[in-house]
Amino acid sequence: MNVAVLRPQVPFARGGVEIFTDRLVDELRARGHDADLVSVPFKWYPGARVLTQAFLWRMLDLDEADGKPIDVVVATKFPSYVVRHPDKRVWLVHQFRQAYDLDGTELGQFGDSPEDRAIRRKVQALDRVALGEATRLFAISRNVAARLESSTGLRADVLPHPPQALEFRCDEYGDFVLSVNRLDRAKRIDLLLQAAALDAALEVVIAGDGPDRERLEQIARDHGLDGRVRFAGRVSEEELADLYARCLAVYYAPVDEDYGMVPLEAFLSEKPVLTTTDSGGPLEIVTDGASGLVVSPDAGELARAAGWLREHRDDAASFGRAGRAVAAEVTWDRAIGRLLE
Amino acid sequence: MRVAYFSPMPPERSGIADYSALLLPALRGRLDVRVVKRGRKKAPRGTDVSLYHVGNNPDAHAWIVDALHREPGVVVLHDYVLHHLVAGMTVGRRDGHAYLDAMEREYGVVGRLLAHGVLDKRIPPLWESRPADYPLSSFVLEHATGLIVHSRTVSELARASGFPGPVWVVPHPAWPVGQVVPVRLAPGMVIGCFGVVNASKRIPELLQATATVRESHPEVKLLLVGPTSPGFDLDRRLQRLGLAEEGVVREGWADERRLWSLMAGSDVAVNLRHPTMGETSGSVIRALSLGKPLVVSDVGWFSELPNEVALKIPTGDDEVNVLSSALELLVSRADVREAMGAAAVDLARREHDVGRVAELYTAALEESAGGAAVADAVLRDVSEAAAEVGISGDAAEAKEIARRLAEVELGT
Repeated sequence: MNVAVLRPQVPFARGGVEIFTDRLVDELRARGHDADLVSVPFKWYPGARVLTQAFLWRMLDLDEADGKPIDVVVATKFPSYVVRHPDKRVWLVHQFRQAYDLDGTELGQFGDSPEDRAIRRKVQALDRVALGEATRLFAISRNVAARLESSTGLRADVLPHPPQALEFRCDEYGDFVLSVNRLDRAKRIDLLLQAAALDAALEVVIAGDGPDRERLEQIARDHGLDGRVRFAGRVSEEELADLYARCLAVYYAPVDEDYGMVPLEAFLSEKPVLTTTDSGGPLEIVTDGASGLVVSPDAGELARAAGWLREHRDDAASFGRAGRAVAAEVTWDRAIGRLLE
Repeated sequence: MRVAYFSPMPPERSGIADYSALLLPALRGRLDVRVVKRGRKKAPRGTDVSLYHVGNNPDAHAWIVDALHREPGVVVLHDYVLHHLVAGMTVGRRDGHAYLDAMEREYGVVGRLLAHGVLDKRIPPLWESRPADYPLSSFVLEHATGLIVHSRTVSELARASGFPGPVWVVPHPAWPVGQVVPVRLAPGMVIGCFGVVNASKRIPELLQATATVRESHPEVKLLLVGPTSPGFDLDRRLQRLGLAEEGVVREGWADERRLWSLMAGSDVAVNLRHPTMGETSGSVIRALSLGKPLVVSDVGWFSELPNEVALKIPTGDDEVNVLSSALELLVSRADVREAMGAAAVDLARREHDVGRVAELYTAALEESAGGAAVADAVLRDVSEAAAEVGISGDAAEAKEIARRLAEVELGT
C-alpha cells in the first residue's frame, strides 16, 4: 500500500509529532508498505494567517505522485487534515488548541476583537469540515478524542502509539528526578523547580530546549538551585536513554496534555512517573500508587511525592516494573493494523 | 465582544421575555451583553453587533423591528410568519400605505390588491384568515445580517424566500427543573394540554379523541390548562361529546410555578397545532425536561422532534383516528411512557442545555461581527499570493482556488 503521512512543519522545531511521524513512516516501511512523509511549513500568526496557511494543504493534489497512486493519506495534526483525498485517515495528535481549550488562557492566541473571535470560529468550522471528511478518524488518546467530540461532535477511535525507539534500560534508581520536555510554559516545568526549592534534597535534570528556557533558568537562579538543577538542553538519543536509565523518577505534568510519550518512555525504562491531577493524557497511562504518583498541581505536594519515592526506592522500582507492563501493550503492530484495516 | 440585546424582558408577559431571562445569564458568561431598554431605537455606543429577538406579536416586538430597520444586525426569528407584526406596525399605526407597500414588495400587484381589500374591509384581515399564505417575513429578513432560528423548518423557509446571509439553527434552551411539586387534579391517567385553547391548537380534535379513548379507558382525564380564545365555544363542545360532567378538567391561565406542577402531575403531554407559524413551543421544551411522553402535530418544528420522544399526528382527514390511537397506546402502555420519558430527559439535557445554547449563540454572534473581515483577509492573502505568480482572477487556476476555498468554507 502506498501511504503518505502528513505533517505540518514548524521550521527549526522538533518535538513529539516529528518523532511520531518519522517513526510511523519507518514502521510502515518495515511492514512492506511504500510510505513517505509529506510536510508543509505552518505559521499560525498574525491574524487570519492561520487560515491561509492551513488552506495550503487544500491545494495539494495527493491522489498520486509521479504517476504512482497514493492509496491512503494519514493526517496527524492541524492543519494537515485539511488536505483532500479519497481515503483520508486522520490519526489526530491534536487540533489547533488555541481555538479551543487554550482560548482565554495565557496560552491562547485570540483576543477579544470581533476579527479575532471570528478567526477562532473559522478554525472550528474548518475542523468540522476537514475532519468530517475523514474516512477513518483516530485519536492518540482518550483526552484528544474527548476534546474532539466536545468541540465538533465528531467521534474518534482511540489509537495510542508507542514512543520513540531508544535503548531503554534501567541501570539504577538514582538521586535525580528527570524532566523530558520541550521548554515552554504549557509543559509546567516551573512547578518542578518550585518543588526543588522546597526540598533541599531534591535533584533535578531537565532535558530539552525551548522558548521558556531563559525564564526557567532565571527561576532556578532566583531559588538558588544551582548545583541541584541541571539544564541539559537538547540531548542525543543515547544521552536520553542514559538519563532515563539512571534517574529515580520522571516528572511529566503539562497542563491538559494530549497524550504524552514521556510516561511511556519512562515506563520502558522501568521508572515511575510523577504527574498531576490536571495533566490530561498522562492520566490515561499513569495509575496513582501503582505505576507512579499523581498529585495536585502544587509544589509542596510534588516535593513530598518526590521525597517519598527517594525514601521508598523499592516501591519506585515496583512502580516502574508495573509501568513497563503497561507500555508493553502499546505496539506498532497493533496500531498500524488498526490504522490500515 | 459587546452585544446590544433587543428583546422583551420580564415582567412583560411574553414567551420570548421568559426565553431571554433564561438565556441571558449563560450568554453573559461568554459575551459583554448590553440589554437595550424597551423603546430605544439605537444600540449603545461601542457595541460590536446587535441582536434582535423578533416574534409575531407587535406589542412586544414592534419597537425592536423599528431599531432593526435603523441598524441591521442578527435576528432571532422566533416566528417565521410575521403578518400580525407587520399589520401592527403599519395598519395599527394608521399607516395603510406602509401595509400596501409591504404586501406589494413581497407579493407583487396581487399582494397590493389583497391589502386594499383588507383596508377597505372587503375581505377579512389576512393576519387572521391566511397569515401562513402571506408571512411577510421579508419585512424583517431584508434587514438581517444573519438569522438565528430554532428549527430546520424555519431555516429552509428563510432560504426558500431568498435570504442570502448566514443562518444558524440554535435549539430552544430548556429551563432547569427546580423543586417541582406535582399536582394531580384528577385520579387516574391524566393527559395534559397546556396553552391557549382554540381551534389552531386542535382542541376540537383532541376532545373527540379523548372521548374515543374514554370509551375503553373511562379513568382517563384530559387536563386543559390555559385561557380560552374568544369565540371558541368550549363548553358546548364538551357537552356535545359527553365530556362536560367528567372527562375534562379545566384550569385557566396558570403562572409559571403552577404550570410546572400541573405538567409534572400529568402522565402524557399533548401539544398540537395547525397551521404553524414556524414557531417552537416552550410547553414542549418544559415537557421534555420533565420527561413526559409527547403527542404533537406532524408539522414544522414539531416534526423535527426525534421519534423516541414524540408521537406525531399528521393533520388531515385521519387526524382524530391517529390521535386516538396514539393516546390509546400511551395510556395503556407504561413501558412506552417510561421509554419516551427517559428519551425526553436525555434530549433536553443533550440538545437543549442552556450552556450549549449560549455557546451556539456566541459562535453565531462572533462569526457575524467579525466574519466578513476575516473572509476579506483570507481572500486578500490568497489572491495576492496568486497574483504574485501570475494567476489572474479569471484564470482556470483562480477558479480552482475559489472552489477549494468554498469546499472548506473559507472566504465566505
